[in-house]
Amino acid sequence: MNTFNRRQFLQMAGATSLMAAMPIKSLAAGVPARVVVVGGGFGGATLAKYLRMWGDNLEVILVDQNANHIACILSNLVVTGQLGMSRITLSYSYLKANYGVTVLQGKAVGLDPAGNKITIQTSLGLKDLSYDHLVMAPGIDFTPAPGLWDEKLTPHAWKAGAQTTLLKNQLAAMRNNDKFVMTVPKSPYRCPPGPYERACVVADYLKRKGYTGARVIVLDANSGIQAEPEAFAHAFNVTHKGMIQYIPNATVTGIDSKTRSIQTSALNVASARVLNYIPNQKAGGIVTGLPVNASGFVPVNPLTYAVQGYTNVHVIGDACAVPSSEGKAVPKSGHMANAEAKVCADAIVRLLSGDTPDTNITTNSACYSPITRSTASWLSANFNYGDIYSASGAVIGKGMHRVDMAEAPPSQVDGDSLEDMFQWADALFADSFV
Amino acid sequence: MIRNRISLTVAGLLTALTFSSPTHAEPGRLLAAQCAQCHGTNGAGPGFDNIAGKSASEMFHELREMKYRTQIESIMDRQARGYTDDQLLLISTFLSTQAAGADD
Repeated sequence: MNTFNRRQFLQMAGATSLMAAMPIKSLAAGVPARVVVVGGGFGGATLAKYLRMWGDNLEVILVDQNANHIACILSNLVVTGQLGMSRITLSYSYLKANYGVTVLQGKAVGLDPAGNKITIQTSLGLKDLSYDHLVMAPGIDFTPAPGLWDEKLTPHAWKAGAQTTLLKNQLAAMRNNDKFVMTVPKSPYRCPPGPYERACVVADYLKRKGYTGARVIVLDANSGIQAEPEAFAHAFNVTHKGMIQYIPNATVTGIDSKTRSIQTSALNVASARVLNYIPNQKAGGIVTGLPVNASGFVPVNPLTYAVQGYTNVHVIGDACAVPSSEGKAVPKSGHMANAEAKVCADAIVRLLSGDTPDTNITTNSACYSPITRSTASWLSANFNYGDIYSASGAVIGKGMHRVDMAEAPPSQVDGDSLEDMFQWADALFADSFV
Repeated sequence: MIRNRISLTVAGLLTALTFSSPTHAEPGRLLAAQCAQCHGTNGAGPGFDNIAGKSASEMFHELREMKYRTQIESIMDRQARGYTDDQLLLISTFLSTQAAGADD
């Protein structure tokens, strides 16, 4: 109500400098400002919810291609059959019912940033949506495979859903002496611990099934384990000894889904029983046309998540590149996307009120990785806004500086952490979608 | 003169509206929102320990204990290290004003 009055008042008073900072549409008396959110994963869903919680007289439209979101979080346990698909299927209905978010099923096909307009392909045809702020949370896309890759034959299962089911079924068909071959993409990629976690739970599954000679081969494009190195090295060398062959510096140079063979700079494998090719990654498709960095992700302002050159177009979650200290990148994960969404939501609410973004901001990542069916590890990382540094310690600008990071001490890689993992997932799912 | 008076009125009204507006973030709200991934929206669950509606001073004390503990007992001992003491105080104060969760 106050916002309404203030907008009216600003019009009358002709406070031109403030008016210029405000979106054109919200100046019209009584018309709510509109935020369009494209992509309903953890980032987009959280953003839509918090905008409605924190904003005043704000219309929020959440656009997603699917009727609900299937979380990657916990999906490796769906692959092994420990959990069902329903456990990771998250409905948008609570965002509608509890927060008044408008949910539109469709795909963004065109963006007109100069006209503050985005075009959505829906089942009823093309629909143009004007916006005061646009936030894109499109997640990841894959870079082209060097060879004949067909994801319907050799799944990535790095976007949960049908791919998860396919990998689960292929794993279930494994028998004695079969090889489960998987790749770890070049960093940065979605969920740094995820591939190693998958290797662990697949090895655990095969061991429990009692298949002799069955094993997991991990072809890592990186020079070493990218997250929780102590916990996963212990898992590979001790917990799952003899079950996991870990090959670093394995850049994929060729793949053939029909023969389930793969060539890398370190090792070639022919006739894998399961070939779980997880490709290198870049920002999701709908951000095409926006500036990207050398890794294919969209650099953003750490205070607002605005894209360079825009004040009202934002990218959050896996698709964005947050300025950070060298070697201390902000990880791409559902938990972090949720964290970024809140910073972005707060900034948008402030900007719509003619206020400046908060600078006293933090983001964090906390997650759990199953090592076996009954044990898990954890990873914690915290980022605070301020100076960011080069490897040699020189200040290179402002951004989200990682002030702390640690993995679970060995004594906490246990059953309690597995229980904590389910509690963490429940909390994160609810904070984002309910 | 008249011009000046109007400008002052504008400034005065803007200030008043800014502080009375429900959209204006309470201090600590955004910082505390970073707890919600594990403790529920506004700290009221579902999730780990319910942290809404507790005494601000007790929570601040506990968070500092976690932050400065040398032997890591849980993931929270790491998370607490991610904040300055001033930030922990803002978080504790904000959460103390929030309604406790249903299962509290």
